[in-house]
Amino acid sequence: MIRNYFKIAWRNILANKLFTLLNIAGLAIGVCVCVILFSFVNKELSYDKMYSNSEDIYRVNMETSEAYDYETWATMPNAVGPAIVAEIPQVETMTRLIKDDFGATASLKIGDKNYTEDGLYLADASLFKMFDFKFLQGNSETAFSEPKSIVLSMSAKEKLFGAKEAMHKLITVNNSDTLQVSGIYADLPKNSVMDCAMVYNIMDSWMGTNVYWSNASYETYVQLQPNADVAEIEKRATALIDKNVDKDGQYFTKFIFQPLTKIHLYSADVREGYSTKLGNITTIKSLMFLSLLVLFIACINYMNLATANSRKRAKGIGVNKVLGANRRQMLFLFYVETGILVLVSIIVGYAASFLTLPLFQNVTSSELAFSDLLAAPILVGLLLIWIVVTIIAGSYPAIAMSGISPLILVNKSKKKNSASEYVRKGLVVFQFAASIVLIIAVTIILQQMAFIKNKNLGYDPNGIIAISVKSAENQQQIDAFTKAVEKHSNVESVSAVQAMPGVGESGRSVQKLVTDNVGLPIASCRTNGKVVKTLKLNLLAGNELPEHIAEGDSIIYTLINEKILSYLDYKTAEDAVGKIINTELGSRAIITGVVKNFNFSSLKEDVGGYMYYKSSSAPEGIRTLLVRYNTQKLPQFMGQLEKTFNENLPNTAFDYQFVDRHVAQLYASEEKTASTATIFSALAIFIACLGLFGLAAFMAEQRTKEIGVRKVLGATVANLTKLLTKDFLKLVLVAFVIAAPIAYWLMNKWLLDFAYRTEMSWWVFALAGLAAVLIALITVSFQAIKAAIANPVKSLRTE
Amino acid sequence: MLLELNNIFKWVNQGGNRVFLLKDLNLEVEEGEFISIMGPSGSGKSTLLNVIGMLDGFQEGEYKFLDESVHAMKEKNRSKLYKEYIGFVFQAYHLIDELTVYENIETPLLYKNIKSAERKALVADMLDRFNIVGKKDLFPAQLSGGQQQLVGIARALVAKPKLILADEPTGNLNSNQGEEIMQLFKELNQEGVTIIQATHSETNAAYGSRTLHLLDGRRDHK
Repeated sequence: MIRNYFKIAWRNILANKLFTLLNIAGLAIGVCVCVILFSFVNKELSYDKMYSNSEDIYRVNMETSEAYDYETWATMPNAVGPAIVAEIPQVETMTRLIKDDFGATASLKIGDKNYTEDGLYLADASLFKMFDFKFLQGNSETAFSEPKSIVLSMSAKEKLFGAKEAMHKLITVNNSDTLQVSGIYADLPKNSVMDCAMVYNIMDSWMGTNVYWSNASYETYVQLQPNADVAEIEKRATALIDKNVDKDGQYFTKFIFQPLTKIHLYSADVREGYSTKLGNITTIKSLMFLSLLVLFIACINYMNLATANSRKRAKGIGVNKVLGANRRQMLFLFYVETGILVLVSIIVGYAASFLTLPLFQNVTSSELAFSDLLAAPILVGLLLIWIVVTIIAGSYPAIAMSGISPLILVNKSKKKNSASEYVRKGLVVFQFAASIVLIIAVTIILQQMAFIKNKNLGYDPNGIIAISVKSAENQQQIDAFTKAVEKHSNVESVSAVQAMPGVGESGRSVQKLVTDNVGLPIASCRTNGKVVKTLKLNLLAGNELPEHIAEGDSIIYTLINEKILSYLDYKTAEDAVGKIINTELGSRAIITGVVKNFNFSSLKEDVGGYMYYKSSSAPEGIRTLLVRYNTQKLPQFMGQLEKTFNENLPNTAFDYQFVDRHVAQLYASEEKTASTATIFSALAIFIACLGLFGLAAFMAEQRTKEIGVRKVLGATVANLTKLLTKDFLKLVLVAFVIAAPIAYWLMNKWLLDFAYRTEMSWWVFALAGLAAVLIALITVSFQAIKAAIANPVKSLRTE
Repeated sequence: MLLELNNIFKWVNQGGNRVFLLKDLNLEVEEGEFISIMGPSGSGKSTLLNVIGMLDGFQEGEYKFLDESVHAMKEKNRSKLYKEYIGFVFQAYHLIDELTVYENIETPLLYKNIKSAERKALVADMLDRFNIVGKKDLFPAQLSGGQQQLVGIARALVAKPKLILADEPTGNLNSNQGEEIMQLFKELNQEGVTIIQATHSETNAAYGSRTLHLLDGRRDHK
């Protein structure tokens, strides 16, 4: 009996090739997308679960005060970790973790070779046990027993030393510390937020020994006793703030213990962390949603095509019923049929996922390997997809068709199945509404990206190279290099600065001269040079900072932006020039010039207060050379720059960044959203069109006789095509009416993330609607024209 | 008594009027009879067959099959009854296109949950009897109309029903083929199978042991 079902089902599948092909194509695409995204999600969810103490490890985050908008920071003063361990017995151990030079790229020197390195950390020795470091040479006990020791990951060792022995070799960091290799550890798991390529002892540095409660630069990880009460420990840790920091100096108010296993996905709102390996739960949720949506759209195809086909199938059902089948047996037959089709689709889709994996790298921005597609949860997921899709796609046709009466055989049951007609239309509308929403979303995202690219930032990031000089051995080297670069014929202007815009300024605050307790948090950046010229800032009043200041001149010259100007209540820019400014730099700071606001950080944020200053002695160092160049032959130019650099800073690695690329990088996640939405909208609309194509074919077939009669009566091909496409176009229009407000709402929400955003214009919606109509028209009219040009004699003869 | 229809009324409402498909119809059928139902198009022949075959219901009257009251039965028991005792033959054959000759004949047995070995024997008997062993692996589309109807009859017979209901069984066949089929019915009847056929043709009606004339849903006694 069962075997017979399979046989009938299989033959039904083969008998209707178009139906089968359209369904398998749609479902396979859906499955393929789901498999790839499931494996991506599977990988994301696996983060940091591999450590033996994963469950008990937490990162201490802190909540800042009102002045910092109650942000949550992952970094805190270096006194916090030791205090927590000392005062709270349930905390077994802690490690502080800080990227060398607060996260700037390090310059390493081994022998006479220079290297740049982004993964150099300082940490307490407890790091190794906490995170199960596997030492291949040396061991976790002795790694830091000698002062000035450094341990390397296997791949870092290979990068620096190749196949040669590395133990006990010397590495000079940033031309200041010389460290000796004391251990090599196996690379940390790829699915861990711990991304240390090399680690040296924080206790060898003032960072570890000189503990204080002010500068928040240190990530702090703690390991609690098993089953410890985290909420209670959080409370006790928070109590340490009052104990150690004066009320006035409390710019953070609370400690929050974030479980290690949550760091990867739930740190979107946590600032200042060092790990480069962060995911985002929202991304994961929306990718899951989109891939399931695509699969569902494919399910809809099955429902629609199967029910559209019901007239053909009716006879078979009638006969079976007359021969003794009951409704349950017919239901089962349909489920078997759906099940087989879905299984074939899953096999095709799964195979396709291996081939299309590279296409999705961009969407997931994660390097998935074939082995990720073979993981056990994926196979379970496939089984689940099989069952769920069979039920979702199969139920409606099964229930609708198993109820067909055997009277259909004697032409007694002619009732038009109007209910199923409505369901079918509803489902088509759903498919197209989803597609239209995606089309609108893509258009608006791309529009916003174009808006961002073309927005005048208030400075010109194009044509500037930022060269790191922070590891220079002394100021003379920097000055000599600056002079040498300035002489270059393709260089327009050079400024020596503390930071390129948005990366590495110092946080200060500006106070009004009258009593002002709150102050305006600003970014301050020391400079030696003519930043207005180099960055092409718009000077509103006053002057560029002076190029030379006399020996012994203790005045601090500042250049402020409009934001600070308006906070200080000056009516015009001219009023401010020459006035004293109170900004934690002593009493001799004066305003030299005022520049127009410029977007030094992402356009997602409003412009904040920004100040350049120049003084003969300053708390901050000069770390970057901004070079505005003017040449088309960039490779040669860069070669010359590197040569000049090596002549002047022989012991430092040449590390540079193009400012415009850095700016583009700020919107990397939006770029990714754009490409994701593009891919998914293309898939959704393609699958919807497969369905529409099939439906149109069925409709044309069903109306063959009508078409024949109309043709004999003189209808033209155009008349008939219109007749057949009209109904579908109506559905697409209804879909548009539903989709437009949803898309508006969604995109409005998305745009709110940006402080600077494009207007949503009506033509985007019109365009999306038009695109959907056109796509539907092309799909349907192919079938319609085919039916319309068929010879009517043929269709009228059969019957 | 195989079956008995007493005062059967069946109607549909059309535009506010009640249109009678069967009107006060009475019929008794003994086992072993071969009844032909005649009448013009729309006289109710097919409707009557559907009512007898329990595919269709009626509004008034009573229907007894083997002394059981069909009109009072639940759908489930009714279908059990016709599964057990009634075989159908259609004008348009209504073979299942996706199944071979063999499988078509086998299908009713599957729904009766008959064991595989017995199924094989029963189907083989039918193939033998109708001389279609050589065609058992062909699909309906590969057969002529007469051959398809043979398979249709074999399929109706395989489960050994007491009653065969045939609605214009030769309607789609040429006269030679039609005659063969009627001859076959006659033989079956002689072997004890009760047959009720609806037909337009006097010649075919003559194969039956008695003829029932219908006009506008009632017996025409003229």
